[in-house]
Amino acid sequence: MLRLLKPNAIILHKTRPQVGQEIQACIGCNECILACPAVAEPITIDMLNRETISGPISEPVARFARACYQCGACVSPCPVGLHRDAMMLWLKVRLLSMVEEE
Amino acid sequence: MINEPNKQLVPHQYKSNSSLDHADIVIIGNGIAGLTAAVEARHISPDKRIVIVTSQIHPTINTPALKQFAIGKLTREQLLAYPAGTERAERIHVVHSHVTEIHAQSKYITLSGNRGFGYNSLLIATGSNPQGLPEQTPGRNFDGVLTLHRLQDYLDLRRRLGELEEAVVVGGGVHAIETVMGLLYWGIRVHWLIRGKTFMGRMLDEAASEIVLNNVRKAGAIIHLQTEIAGIVGRVGAVAGVITNHQEMIPCQMVLTCTGTQAATALAKSCSVPMLFKNGIMVDDKLRTSVRDIYAAGDVAALKNPQTGSYEPRAQWYAAVAQGRIAGSMMVGNKELAQQIFGVHWHATHLGELSMLTVGEPLSNNPRIESYTDTSQGGYRRLAVFDDRLVGYLALGAAQPDSLAIKRIIDEGTPVRSVLKSLLKGNFDARSYLSRQRSHSTRNLLTQQLPNLIKREERPATAVQRMPTTDEMNSYRIPRQTDPLALPRPTTPVQPSTPTFRQTGPLGQYIPEQPSRIVDTPILPDDDFNPFTGSLPEVELNVTERSVRRNSIENWGNSPVTPTYNPPLQNYARDNVLAASDKKQLHYKLWSYIDPALDAQDNVVPNIQEGDIF
Repeated sequence: MLRLLKPNAIILHKTRPQVGQEIQACIGCNECILACPAVAEPITIDMLNRETISGPISEPVARFARACYQCGACVSPCPVGLHRDAMMLWLKVRLLSMVEEE
Repeated sequence: MINEPNKQLVPHQYKSNSSLDHADIVIIGNGIAGLTAAVEARHISPDKRIVIVTSQIHPTINTPALKQFAIGKLTREQLLAYPAGTERAERIHVVHSHVTEIHAQSKYITLSGNRGFGYNSLLIATGSNPQGLPEQTPGRNFDGVLTLHRLQDYLDLRRRLGELEEAVVVGGGVHAIETVMGLLYWGIRVHWLIRGKTFMGRMLDEAASEIVLNNVRKAGAIIHLQTEIAGIVGRVGAVAGVITNHQEMIPCQMVLTCTGTQAATALAKSCSVPMLFKNGIMVDDKLRTSVRDIYAAGDVAALKNPQTGSYEPRAQWYAAVAQGRIAGSMMVGNKELAQQIFGVHWHATHLGELSMLTVGEPLSNNPRIESYTDTSQGGYRRLAVFDDRLVGYLALGAAQPDSLAIKRIIDEGTPVRSVLKSLLKGNFDARSYLSRQRSHSTRNLLTQQLPNLIKREERPATAVQRMPTTDEMNSYRIPRQTDPLALPRPTTPVQPSTPTFRQTGPLGQYIPEQPSRIVDTPILPDDDFNPFTGSLPEVELNVTERSVRRNSIENWGNSPVTPTYNPPLQNYARDNVLAASDKKQLHYKLWSYIDPALDAQDNVVPNIQEGDIF
């Protein structure tokens, strides 16, 4: 059991509190969505932020989350240095867990 | 919790008075702090009556995104901070009115038209007002003198863009530089007047200021340092130019003043019980003002800076959201959220190609603070280190470091000696550093066998006593296998009672039980389960175990350790590292109605949640 715990493991993705913290820090400037090559329909940042944290996921956001292929183009334009890729990954996980529930 | 004894004290006459409207929670102002508080309160208590009183005619918007709105990257609809109709969906009533007075003893506010409105707990989230030009400046009321603060101002700016060729921007802060960059985007000739010798004198040193200013100069702005407006020249009531204190005339069609904001403390003045305010309404960590049952959040609230010990407002988006959430949960009597620490000042922005980040206090004249600077890779970084703890970080450059992670390092007081070089060079890998610390603390937890998860798995194993060794198995099986048809020997009756049964019996009970146990334990609630990091279960920890763990942390020697519960963090972050110790202690006077013993009781953290610490 203990051997499985790597002392120098690197966690690449963010935990829920971290994602929540990043979303709190989001200023809603839309730069990430403007940079995104995968977004196909108009999605507002407030919808995306709220549905990433909790609550039901609406159809357009779900389609966007499935279309996201984690290219990371959204990270560099962020003026406050947030990681939209990690948030999108979180949204994908939520989406999957919701599908499983049904 | 504080509210409850009050409920009995307050006479019920106001509740029965039908001419007086009443709500459990009244929030003044529908900025982001106000609405966040309302939504948070609604989520915690679904049946309270929540009312927002505001004189703002539009819904809550993302105010930092207004600069993107100014350069046409966003439409008006995209500015909404919450989806349209959130207030209705969350059953938050919005009253469009202006609050004139607060009657704290009788717990009601007066709206314009002398209408009374009762409350159980009140949140003041009135935000801030722009300071503008000094009162005595001639021509400060001419058409074309704008302050960019509200949505209306930005709409005004966009309407005027067509006839604008030259503009003067006044001010030496972040807002000024963002305004300058926005105007340059439209191809307007911009004169930027800065009063001081450097840009952002309190946050940036001379070298950093020079990098920023050169960047803006390269983008096309004309910068006038140590220059102020002496007067504004007008033609038929509209701005025609500006006269500086160097007797220089700058022709322009618009003057934009970005000289900072002031907390809107008018309500504190009109409160019937004296409410303490200076730069803003003074609040404690739980956002309580000096008046019982009244809270303040957002730009209007002045929190104690953990590093300097002075009360100052944090006019920032992130602070407003965090404060709104805490105020909202406090108003419905839930103190859990207020356990998290606010931490230090944090600001990140893009200035054209350059990105700028300031965390904490990178500039300080405290002689005990060592500061390091680095100018490699075209950027500039400055670190302030106090006793192996980072207290300030300033970075300018093309690439943005993981800013929230650096804030976290400062807030938690993690030792930084091992990463000092990479922090300084700007190639600090915050994720791997923090995650390595997390896994160290995880290992510390596990070696002490503290988590319930481990204990439950191990307990059946001890009930089995021990697994039969291979020798034992050989000794009993070999005779059977080699001689299966042989008659049982006289010794065989002993066999079933000893090891063979131990293998089949207890193990057989144990294995099928295992999955049901895992299902039963609320260790991994669906939403909290993170498949990528394997986020840790909640762990019960009592006091003795805590001290045991402390020892164990020491035993791990030099390996980095993330403190896993709040108290030590607070000790680190709340240290008045930079403060002069002779500062007057204000707390006893400010929050005299709060029983400190009761408060301390609330502060006991019953369980750890790994990752909850920022």
